[in-house]
Amino acid sequence: MTGLERLPGGLVDRNRCIAFTFDGHPYLGFPGDTLASALLANGVRMVGRSFKYHRPRGVFSAGSEEPNALVQLRRGAYREPNTRATVAELFDGLDATSQNYCGSLRFDLLAVNDLLASFLGAGFYYKTFMWPQALWERLYEPVIRASAGPGRLSGDTDPDVYDRGYLHCDLLVIGSGPAGLAAALVAGRSGARTILVDEDFVMGGRLHAETHEIDGQPGGAWAGSVVAELGALENVRLLSRTTVIGAYDHGIYGAVERKTDHLPDSKGKPRQILWRVHSRRAILCAGAIERPIAFGANDRPGVMLAGAVRTYANRYAVAPGKRVGVFTNNDDGWRTAVDLAAKGVEIAAVIDTREMAPPVDVTSVEVRMGGRITTTWGRKGLKAITLATGEKIAMDCLAVSGGWNPAVHLTCHQRGRPIWRDDIAAFVPGTGLPVGMAVAGSVNGSLSCGAALREGHDAASAIMQDLGIGLAKDALPAASDESVAVMPFWRVTESRGRAWVDLQNDVTVKDIQQAHHEGYRSVELLKRYTTLGMATDQGKTANVVALAILAEHGGRSIGDIGTTIFRPPYTPVSIAVFAGRSRGKAFRPTRLTPSHVWAEGRGGTFVEASGWLRARWYPVSGETHWRQSVDREVRLTRSGVGICDVSTLGKIDIQGEDSGTFLNKVYANGFAKLPVGRVRYGLMLREDGFVYDDGTTARLGKTHFVMTTTTANDGLVFRNLEFARQCLWPGLDVHLASATEQWAQFSVAGPRSRDLLAKIVDPPFDLANDAFPLMACGTVTVCGGAPGRLFRISFSGELGYEIAVPSRYGVSFMAALMTAGEDFDAVPYGVEALGVMRLEKGHVAGNELNGQSTAKMLNLERMISRKKDCIGNVLSQRPAMNRQDGLAMMGFRPLDRSVELTAGAHFLAMDAEDRMAADEGYMTSVAHSPELGYSIGLGFIMRGPERVGETVRAWDAVNGKDIPVEIVPPHFVDPQGNRLRG
Amino acid sequence: MADHALTAASPLAGYARTIGDVLLTEVGDYNLCSVAAPLGEDEALVDSFDVPRPATGQSSISTDGATRLLGLQPDQILILFRADDPDRAADQVAAAMKTAAYVTDQSDSWVLLALEGADVCPVLERLCMLDLDDAAFPAGAVSRTVMEHLSVIILRERDNRFLLFNPRSSARSFLHAVETAAETVLLQSNEPVSVRHRRGTS
Repeated sequence: MTGLERLPGGLVDRNRCIAFTFDGHPYLGFPGDTLASALLANGVRMVGRSFKYHRPRGVFSAGSEEPNALVQLRRGAYREPNTRATVAELFDGLDATSQNYCGSLRFDLLAVNDLLASFLGAGFYYKTFMWPQALWERLYEPVIRASAGPGRLSGDTDPDVYDRGYLHCDLLVIGSGPAGLAAALVAGRSGARTILVDEDFVMGGRLHAETHEIDGQPGGAWAGSVVAELGALENVRLLSRTTVIGAYDHGIYGAVERKTDHLPDSKGKPRQILWRVHSRRAILCAGAIERPIAFGANDRPGVMLAGAVRTYANRYAVAPGKRVGVFTNNDDGWRTAVDLAAKGVEIAAVIDTREMAPPVDVTSVEVRMGGRITTTWGRKGLKAITLATGEKIAMDCLAVSGGWNPAVHLTCHQRGRPIWRDDIAAFVPGTGLPVGMAVAGSVNGSLSCGAALREGHDAASAIMQDLGIGLAKDALPAASDESVAVMPFWRVTESRGRAWVDLQNDVTVKDIQQAHHEGYRSVELLKRYTTLGMATDQGKTANVVALAILAEHGGRSIGDIGTTIFRPPYTPVSIAVFAGRSRGKAFRPTRLTPSHVWAEGRGGTFVEASGWLRARWYPVSGETHWRQSVDREVRLTRSGVGICDVSTLGKIDIQGEDSGTFLNKVYANGFAKLPVGRVRYGLMLREDGFVYDDGTTARLGKTHFVMTTTTANDGLVFRNLEFARQCLWPGLDVHLASATEQWAQFSVAGPRSRDLLAKIVDPPFDLANDAFPLMACGTVTVCGGAPGRLFRISFSGELGYEIAVPSRYGVSFMAALMTAGEDFDAVPYGVEALGVMRLEKGHVAGNELNGQSTAKMLNLERMISRKKDCIGNVLSQRPAMNRQDGLAMMGFRPLDRSVELTAGAHFLAMDAEDRMAADEGYMTSVAHSPELGYSIGLGFIMRGPERVGETVRAWDAVNGKDIPVEIVPPHFVDPQGNRLRG
Repeated sequence: MADHALTAASPLAGYARTIGDVLLTEVGDYNLCSVAAPLGEDEALVDSFDVPRPATGQSSISTDGATRLLGLQPDQILILFRADDPDRAADQVAAAMKTAAYVTDQSDSWVLLALEGADVCPVLERLCMLDLDDAAFPAGAVSRTVMEHLSVIILRERDNRFLLFNPRSSARSFLHAVETAAETVLLQSNEPVSVRHRRGTS
């Protein structure tokens, strides 16, 4: 068979052939084929092995519900496992392989599992691999994962690119079957902004799979003309190859558009786009999914859903078998026999479980009313079936219909619970639909073509009126209401062999019975115990049959048992599309300091800190180790002057008559009385009383303050201040503006810093100690007139300043500072040297402000003013946070000065055991101190201030260190602060 | 002090590039100040400019086209203009006010990236979550929003021209995202990713 001999009709383009391979064998198909239809056309029936028993499996459905035909597409890094062949559009050169076997697809060594089936029932993992526990990770799990596991990822980085985007509409129509097209037509003609989405590459849904007539023309032709009309409307957007994967809050839907999956090469364009669709209203027209009937050996290649068999014949012009039987419990199943017979396919028999007269007159076809299939024959493909009567009928394809389940999935995404309808023996959407969502057509249980058209038309009309959009005069398309009568029939009780319920997870009727026998009554637990309804199809064909069997055993009705509900995504989604463009360097934005270009030119080494690239140190020639660079930067700063870009600190401009009052409320210490021209260090508490940020705030004018925050908390503090301003104290005259990006700010520190600034700050500004003492601030001009702000503050413990100019001058100003500092051997220093100096001085940073520290732990409890209220004030007074024997920040130095300390070490008494119970605290920061010549650390230890001089162990199991350290005050350098006041 | 005279640098070095029919340019030579009215004196802002006070979400422009007020929140407006002396932009605004107001210079906080062309909306569709339909976001409309994890102000200057105010420190990352979106939407094929990453470090 070449794959080119087809039935008449269909939507494939016979003018061109497509060459593709499956497991290395070349085949031909037509444009318009899926991989599944092309394989069937080529007579390939066995396309994979089942999950657990490695049984031969063939194509079962014609849509995204496919449980069997999972294949791997493409090669190398482009390989994508677990793709459903039923939705994989055929393209030139498509390279598909089967999966889940050991050896080859035809001779799978793991098919031995099938012989061991009686030992592999429900929950066998839990029962079998109990002991010894140690073997689970080393033996059991690797073996299970190697044997049971669908396809394999390449392990390489995904070379495709992905994108995301945002869409807006009045009406989102999900699904383009008769209901969806009728709805979109109403909305489109009314001028509403409409988006019509369908997961298929051809719009029209089952109209292409059936032989309905609408307005006197074939249903498929009607769909084509409607899609053409909609495509010409500016207010309508058609998204085919797009799956709505989830319904989220406020009418927002997630949709994945597959842009290039049907092309041999993406050419660098996004393979898929994740759209966030903002809709005012949505109509779900997702249709229904046919379900099987459980009977013995019902999993052989050739056993298919009846609707799928019709789809292959009518849409793809492929006969899935030469002699086709039908097994049904409803009138719809008979359509398969009628349609295939009309195309000249031999019908072996129609077996209807119902005891009644045949609903359709199919001449010259064997009919078995009240018939039940007990088992099937054919090792790698169906050859015959046996009825309960013992009659054996030869056939190579069996079309099974157990009725239709509305595709209610999206209606459950906000915890909507489907309700059972006896008349169609299926769950339909219940209450609790996502806000703004309506349902129409088969998904609503209206299973005939005429009903679907009517519901889609009516739902859209109602929404148009509701939205105040004038309704275009529009006639309802005319179609017949074909019979869809069904009599529930779930399983053939006479079958003695295994009868599959969930083909994808190899769950049989017996597994469900066993689970029930073992006490699993809840459908949620049944699912987890048996693995029913898991993996790529999420039980789209299996769930309701399983529920029926559970109900039968419990003597309850299906409605009473209820169903599991569904969560996003509707079908499997590539993780990469969620990342979109945010990959590699574009994972998140990179922030560059105002002097970044200068630092690059200077050969700086950079580190990422809270999204910023900050210069870490500036190596000079001859330095081979980072410590040499950092030590040099520290020494030269402490002996002369050093310059560091500190623009990353958050800066918040606070203006208004009540700014001082406002600051009093957000800072633990007082600010209202801070004089103009002065700076104060402030401590900020969370509501729970713990410290969350610190920084200095300067008063530039009577109504004007500038707050600094830590780099990491810039956004958080600003957000909290805005909340406080707008919501807590709206009566205060306070206005906030973020000034972080506006100002390039530099620390100029060291004994020569004043001399350097004298060459930068324009006269007549007086920098003398009396005129501009520690904690002074002022507005200045620099470098001959540029605006600047000067603060006399010090993080290093040296005489120090911070000076700010508008960011546009950042590079130029850094260069000017270095030029002006040449006479003083000025050195640029990075964040490592900054960290060393703050540690030598005993200043806290992020390691100490870790969200678990209290003011008392930081020896700053006296900063919390009890004369006024502030956020966190009351809860900071909780006894447990003020224990005298609690943790306190102290300094630590090794008894053996040659030893390097490590942060994260825990403090233990010298004679204590290495146990958590003996833990007395932990080291937060360590550094080598060039000033002292040995390693020093800061950390929290119980009763710290009383224990100065005591020796404890800094025990670090991670690094294998156990170092005796002496507890010392946290200020290692200039504890009296003479340098910074100098 | 003239030996240390400072020179201003723009974060994107005067970037301009045409992708498809969309022109991307860094807009320089402007000043931006926020002006907040003292509590309860919101109305005072109205009288101080030769420009109607815009409602939140809208902007208004002076008759000579030189000054645009952006309404972004109830008690504050942004003024986009060209200062006589860029180093004294806030002083100039404060002096123009008839009543006291709190002025903050934000000229260096934001980078203005202009996107102009017939296909600008399909490009922005990949970046901006706002509804930019003509009816929902007509010429003159302005909003704060988030793009690429960044706080961005979007202003529709004309039907086919948008200004994206994005934070200065991350301007290169933002530009990369906008370029990528424009190339994706407007070009037949995108350049290899590695080449794209290397460019744009001017």
